[in-house]
Amino acid sequence: MATIAVPLGGGQARQEIEAVRRPALSEYLRWSVDHKIIGVQYGVTSLLFFIIGGALAMGIRLELWTPELDLMVSGAAYNSLFTMHGTIMIFLFIIPMWAAYGNFVVPLQLGAKDMAFPWLNAFAFWLIPPAGVVMLLGYFVSPAEAGWTSYPPLSTLFSGDGQTLWALGAHLLGLSSILGSINFIVTILNMRPPEMTIWRMPLLCWAVLATSIIAVMATPFLAGALTLLLLDRMTGTTFFDASGGGDVLLWQNIFWFYSHPAVYIMVLPGMGVLSEVLSIHSRKPVFGYRMVGLSSMAIAIVGFTVWAHHMFTSLQPELRIPFMITTMIIAVPTGIKMFSWLGTIWGGKIRFTSAMLFALGFMSMFVIGGITGVMLAALPFDIHVHDTYFVVSHFHFVLFGGSVFAIYAALYHWFPKITGRMMDETLGRIHFVFTYLGFLITFFPMHIVGMLGMPRRVAVYDPAFTDLNRLISFAAFVLGFSTFIVLYNIVRSYFHGAIAGANPWRALTLEWATTSPPPPTNFHEDPIPYEDPYGYGTKAASAYIEAIDMAFDRREAAPSGAE
Amino acid sequence: MTTTIERVEKQKISDQRAAAIRLKNNRLGMNIFQVSWIMAFVALIVVNWQLRFNYSQWPPVGVPPFDLLLPSVATLALLISSVSVVGALKALRRGFGAAFLVKWRSAVGLGVLFLAIIVYEFLNVSDAAMATQYGNTFRLMTGFHFAHALAILAIMCRVYQRASQGKYSSDEHDSWAVEGAAKLWYFVSFAWMLFYVVLYWIR
Repeated sequence: MATIAVPLGGGQARQEIEAVRRPALSEYLRWSVDHKIIGVQYGVTSLLFFIIGGALAMGIRLELWTPELDLMVSGAAYNSLFTMHGTIMIFLFIIPMWAAYGNFVVPLQLGAKDMAFPWLNAFAFWLIPPAGVVMLLGYFVSPAEAGWTSYPPLSTLFSGDGQTLWALGAHLLGLSSILGSINFIVTILNMRPPEMTIWRMPLLCWAVLATSIIAVMATPFLAGALTLLLLDRMTGTTFFDASGGGDVLLWQNIFWFYSHPAVYIMVLPGMGVLSEVLSIHSRKPVFGYRMVGLSSMAIAIVGFTVWAHHMFTSLQPELRIPFMITTMIIAVPTGIKMFSWLGTIWGGKIRFTSAMLFALGFMSMFVIGGITGVMLAALPFDIHVHDTYFVVSHFHFVLFGGSVFAIYAALYHWFPKITGRMMDETLGRIHFVFTYLGFLITFFPMHIVGMLGMPRRVAVYDPAFTDLNRLISFAAFVLGFSTFIVLYNIVRSYFHGAIAGANPWRALTLEWATTSPPPPTNFHEDPIPYEDPYGYGTKAASAYIEAIDMAFDRREAAPSGAE
Repeated sequence: MTTTIERVEKQKISDQRAAAIRLKNNRLGMNIFQVSWIMAFVALIVVNWQLRFNYSQWPPVGVPPFDLLLPSVATLALLISSVSVVGALKALRRGFGAAFLVKWRSAVGLGVLFLAIIVYEFLNVSDAAMATQYGNTFRLMTGFHFAHALAILAIMCRVYQRASQGKYSSDEHDSWAVEGAAKLWYFVSFAWMLFYVVLYWIR
C-alpha cells in the first residue's frame, strides 16, 4: 500500500517553507480575492453583527423582566426590537458565519490553491456590509415591525419605511448567498485533487455542498417574495392585499419555501463541523461516513417539501396532514447524523478540548431542539402551542444550541489554523460552562411558559409568568456575559496564544497539512490526501501525521528546543 | 537538474491545465446559475398560479383575454434568435469569421424585435385587466423578464462589439465570453417559454 504519502513531497519543498507569516491587518480591510482573507472578513463581520444582535436580545430580556412596558415606549417599539434581533442573527450572523468557515476551510480541505471563482467570492462578501448597514439604518428611520418573517399585511400596511430598507438589505444578502454558493459548489465538485473521490471528501465539504445546493435553489424564491413586497410597498400593487385580488398567504408560501430550507442552510454546516470535531477529538473514524454524507443531501431534498408546516393554522385543512408527514420524515436523516455522532465517540479516546465540549453541547441541545421539532410537527400539539414561547424555545435550541454551539466548536477547532495560535483552553472551558448553563436555563423554561400559554412577540404579559421570565432573563444575561469571555479569548490568543504548529490536533484532513496560517498559495506542492479523511487509529494514519509533523513542526520547533 | 527548456515546457503544461480547469469551472458555474435563477421565474409562476384561485375564472369576469398574435410573433422571434445563437456558436467553433458575426447579429436583431413587442404589450394592458391580478401579474412577469432580457441583450451587444474587433478566436478557452453570453440568452428564451405558456395559454 502506497498510502503513507508525505503530503509535502521531497526535501526541496521543505526548504521553501518560509517563516510563518500572518497577513497584515490592513489586508483584511481591503478587497482581496484570497479565500483565507475573505473567510476572516466574513467571520469578523458576522461576529460584529452577533454582538449587535446579542445586545438587542439583552434589550428584549430586559423589557420582559417585568410584565409591563418599561424599557420600550410602546408595543410597536418592542416589535421593531425583536424584528432586528431575528433578522440580524439569521441573515447577518449565522448564514455569513458559515460562509466564513466554508471559505477558509473548504479549499484547504480539498487541497486546492484557491476557489473556483475568487473574484465572485470577494464580490459576494462585499455585498454583506452595505446590506447590513441598509438594514440597520432602517431601524433608525422608521423601523420594520413585522418580525423577521415580515408577514403582510403587517409588513405592507403597518410597518414604516424601515421595512422597505429591510427588504432591500435582504435582497442584497440573498444575492450574496447565491453567488457564494455557486462558488462553493463548483469548487467542491471541480477543484479536488485526483486522489480525492467524492467518497473521500471531508464531511464539512459534504455539508457545505448540500447547504449550497439549498441556497442556490431556494434563495431565488426569497428574491421573488421580496420583489413583490417592494412593489406592494412602493408602487401600490396589491399582490398581498385581498381588497385588490391579492392574497396574504402568497407571502407565507413563497417566503417559507425559501426560509424553511434556509433553516438547513443555518444548521447543515454545523453538522459537518460536528462530524469533523467529534472524530478528530475522539481519535476514531466517523461512524457510517457514507450515510452521513448522504443524509446531508437527503435533508437538502426533503427540506424543500416541508415549508407549509409554518402555516398549519392558516393552511387549507386538507394540506396539513401531508406536510405533517414530510416534516416528520426529515427527522430520519437528522437522526442518522445523531447516531453517527454517538457511534463516532463511542469507545473513542475522547479529549475534552473546548471544541469537543461545544460539539458535545451541540449534540445534547440539538436533540432537545429536534424532539421539540417533531412535537411541533404533530398537528394537534402545534395548534395548541402555535405562536407561544414553546416555538421560540424550539428554534433557539436548534439555532443557538445547534448552530451557535457548532460555530463555537469550529472556532476553537480552526482558530489555530487561521491565526497560527492556540486559543486558551482554560478560558474556553469557562466559556463553555457559562454558555451551556446560561443557554439551558434561558431557553428550557420557555417550553414551560409556552405550554402555559404565554404568546411570543409581546412586551406585556400575564403577571403570573413573572417569576419564570425573571429566571429566563437572568440566565440570558449570563449567556450574554459568556460572549465576552470568548471575545476576550480571541483577542488575547491572537496576540499571546501558544504557537499552534501545523497540526495541533493531529488530524488527517488536508487543511492541517500546511503551515498555520497557510501561505498565500495554501500548499507548497500539490498535497496528497490520506486515503480516508477520518481513518484514525491505524499505523498508516499515525505515519501520515508523523510525516506532516516532520515536514513542518519539527523544523519550526527546533529553535525553541521544545522537542 | 532541469534545463530552461524543460522548465518552460512544464510551465506550458501547467498553464494549459489551469486553463482547462477554468473553462470547466465556468461551464459548471453557468449551469448552476441557470438552474438556480430559473427558480426566481418559477416563484413568479407560483404567484400567478396562487392568485388565480382568488377568482372564479381566469381571466376574471369582464376582463378580455390578452391578444395572442403579437406575443406569439415575439416568442417565435426569440426562438429563432436562440437557434441563430446555436448556429453562431457552431460557426465559431469551425473558425472565427463572417458566418459567426452574421448569425450573432441576426440573433441580436431578433432579440430587439422581441423586446420591442414585449414593451408594447406591457404598455397596452387594458384598464379592466389592471384592475385585477390578471393585469398585475402580467406586468410583474413580463417586467421581470424584460429586465433580464435587456441586461443579457446588452451583454450580447458587447460580445458582438468585441468580436467585430477580432478579440475572440475559435479556441473555446479564448471565446468563453461568447459561450457565456449564448448560454445566458438560452436562459432568457427558456424563461420566456415558461412565462408564455403560463400567461397566454393556461386559462
